[in-house]
Amino acid sequence: MNAPETRPDGLPPFVRSWRQLYGLVIASLVAVIAFLAWFTAYFQ
Amino acid sequence: MSLVDWIVLIATLGSLIAYGVWKSRRDQTMDGYLLGNRSLAWYQVGLSVMATQASAITFLSAPGQAYTDGMRFVQFYFGLPLAMIVISVTFIPMFHRLKVYTAYEFLENRFDLRTRTFTSLLFLIPRFLSTGITIYAPSLILSTLLNWNIVWTNLFMGGLVIIYTTSGGVRAVSYTHVQQMLIVFIGMALAGWMVVRLLPPEVGFTDTLRLAGKLGKLNAINWKFDLNDRYNVWSGLIGGFFLQLSYFGTDQSQVGRYISGESVGESRLGLLMNGILKIPMQFLILLVGALVFVFYQYHEPPLSFNAAERARVEQVPAYNALAEEHRQLATQKSREITALHTALERNDESTATVARNQIQATDVRIDATRSQVSDLIKKAGGDANDTNYIFLHFVINQLPVGLVGLLIAVIFVASMGSTASALNSLTSTFVVDIYRRMLRPTASERHYVQFSRGITVVWGVLCVMVAMFANRLGSMIEAVNILGSLFYGTILGIFLVAFYFKKLGATATFWAAVGAELLVVLFWRLDLMAFLWLNLLGCGLVIGLAWIIQRLLPEPDVS
Repeated sequence: MNAPETRPDGLPPFVRSWRQLYGLVIASLVAVIAFLAWFTAYFQ
Repeated sequence: MSLVDWIVLIATLGSLIAYGVWKSRRDQTMDGYLLGNRSLAWYQVGLSVMATQASAITFLSAPGQAYTDGMRFVQFYFGLPLAMIVISVTFIPMFHRLKVYTAYEFLENRFDLRTRTFTSLLFLIPRFLSTGITIYAPSLILSTLLNWNIVWTNLFMGGLVIIYTTSGGVRAVSYTHVQQMLIVFIGMALAGWMVVRLLPPEVGFTDTLRLAGKLGKLNAINWKFDLNDRYNVWSGLIGGFFLQLSYFGTDQSQVGRYISGESVGESRLGLLMNGILKIPMQFLILLVGALVFVFYQYHEPPLSFNAAERARVEQVPAYNALAEEHRQLATQKSREITALHTALERNDESTATVARNQIQATDVRIDATRSQVSDLIKKAGGDANDTNYIFLHFVINQLPVGLVGLLIAVIFVASMGSTASALNSLTSTFVVDIYRRMLRPTASERHYVQFSRGITVVWGVLCVMVAMFANRLGSMIEAVNILGSLFYGTILGIFLVAFYFKKLGATATFWAAVGAELLVVLFWRLDLMAFLWLNLLGCGLVIGLAWIIQRLLPEPDVS
C-alpha cells in the first residue's frame, strides 16, 4: 500500500506544487494583458 | 440624499462599526490585538489585503481618472502578480519563521537596531501622510452632500475611524474587510449597470464601449517604452513591480494583514488571490469611469464637477456667458455623438472619422470654456481640480434612491477598511519597533495593549491634520502613489539586501539607505523621471551604494 502523499500546507487541490501555482498566476497575468491589448485595439 | 439613502448609509456603517467593536472584545494581548492570534484563513487574508489597498480613493479618483485620462492607469498594476509571487517565495516564510509583529523586526536580526529604526521611520512618514489622504476622500463626500465645511467633515470622518480602529484589533479589521469587499463589489457592479441603463435606449453596452474607444478612453494598453510616461506596459511591469513589491513586502499595513494568516500556505494563497483579482477589479472600476464619460457625452456635464467650487463663481458675470456657451457646445456635441453612434452602427468608418474629428474640435472649445471657469475658480481662491468629484457628482445626481446610499456606503466602508489597516500598522510599528524596543522594553502585555489603543488615537489625530491639506494634492490616488514611490524603493532595497546579499553588512546598508533616500528625493524634486521609476531607482541605489561602501570600508562583522 502506498503511503498518502504529503501535500504542502494550504496548497489548493488543482495544483501539485507551489511552483505550479506561481506558473498559473503568471499565465493569468499574460492572459489579462493579452485581453487588454485586444480590448484596446478592438474598441479604438 | 433621500431618507432611504440615509438609512442605507447609516445601517451599513453602524453594523460594520458594531461588528468591529464586538470582534475586538477578546483581544487583550499583543498577539491578539496586533496579529489576531495569527488565525486567518486564506480568503480572509486575500480580501483583507485587497480591502487595505482599495481605499475610498480607489472608488472616487479612479473613475474620474478614466473620465479625464482614459483607462491606461490599469497598467500600473501589471507588476502586482509578479510581486505577489516574490513575496510568497521569500518574505512570507521568513516572517512566519521569525514570528515577527512587524516587518522591521527582521531587520535588527539581519543588520542592527539603527537600520531597523531608520526603516520604521521611512515607513511611518509616508504611511501617516497617505492615511490623511484616505480620511480626506470620504470627508469630501460628506462636505458636498451636507454642504458642511470640509474641516468639520474631516474631523467627523477621522473621529469615526479612530473610534472604530482603537476599539478594534487586527482581527476586527480583517473580518470586517470581508464584508466590506462584498459591499464594494455589489455597489460598483450596480453603478456600472446603471450608467448603461441611463444612456439613450438605442445605445447598448457594446455601443457605449465603441463610443468610449473612439473617443480615446479605452486606452488600456500602451506598448511604447517612455521613461517620462507614467503609465505604459513597461512602467507597470517594471516600476509597478518594484512599487508593489515594496508596498506588499515592506509596508506594515499590508505585512500585518498576511502575517495574520494561520500558516505560510494560507498567507501565500491570500496574496496570490490578490495578484489574480486586482487587475480585473481595477479594470472594472476604470470601465465605470469610461462609461460615465460616455453618459456625459449625451448629457451636459457641469462646468466644474465640484459643486462647492462652482458655487463660488456662479455669481460672477463672466461665468454666465461661459455657462451659456458651454450649454450650446454640449448640445452640439450630443448631436455629434449621435452621428458617431449611427456611423458606427452602420460600420461607416469614413463618416465615423468625420464625426470623431468634429467631436474633437468641439472638445477643444469645451476644454477652453472649462479652463476659463477654472481660472475664475482659482481667482476666487478655490481649487480648480475636479477629477475626484466626477464619479461622486454622477452618483448623487443620476442614480436612483437607495443606490445613492449604497454607493456612498461603498466609499465610506472602503475608507474605513484601509484607514483601519493603516492606523493599526502605524500603531504596531511605533509600539513594537520604537516604544517597546527602545523606550519601555519590560512592561506587561496589558500595558502594551492599552498603550497601543492610546497611540492609535494620536496617529488618528495626526492623520486628520494631514487630511486638512489633502485637497491641495491634485488627483488623490496619484498623490498617494507618488508618496509611496518616494520612500518604498529605499525600504525595498534594504529588504532585498537583507534577503539576497548576505555579504553586505549593517553599516554599509544603513549609509547606503540614507544616501539613496536623499538621492530619490533630489530626483523627484528635479522631476527627472516619472514617479513609478523612483521605486526602481531607490531600490537599485541602496543595493549599489551598499556594495560600494562595503568594498571601500569592509566590516569585520559581515557574515
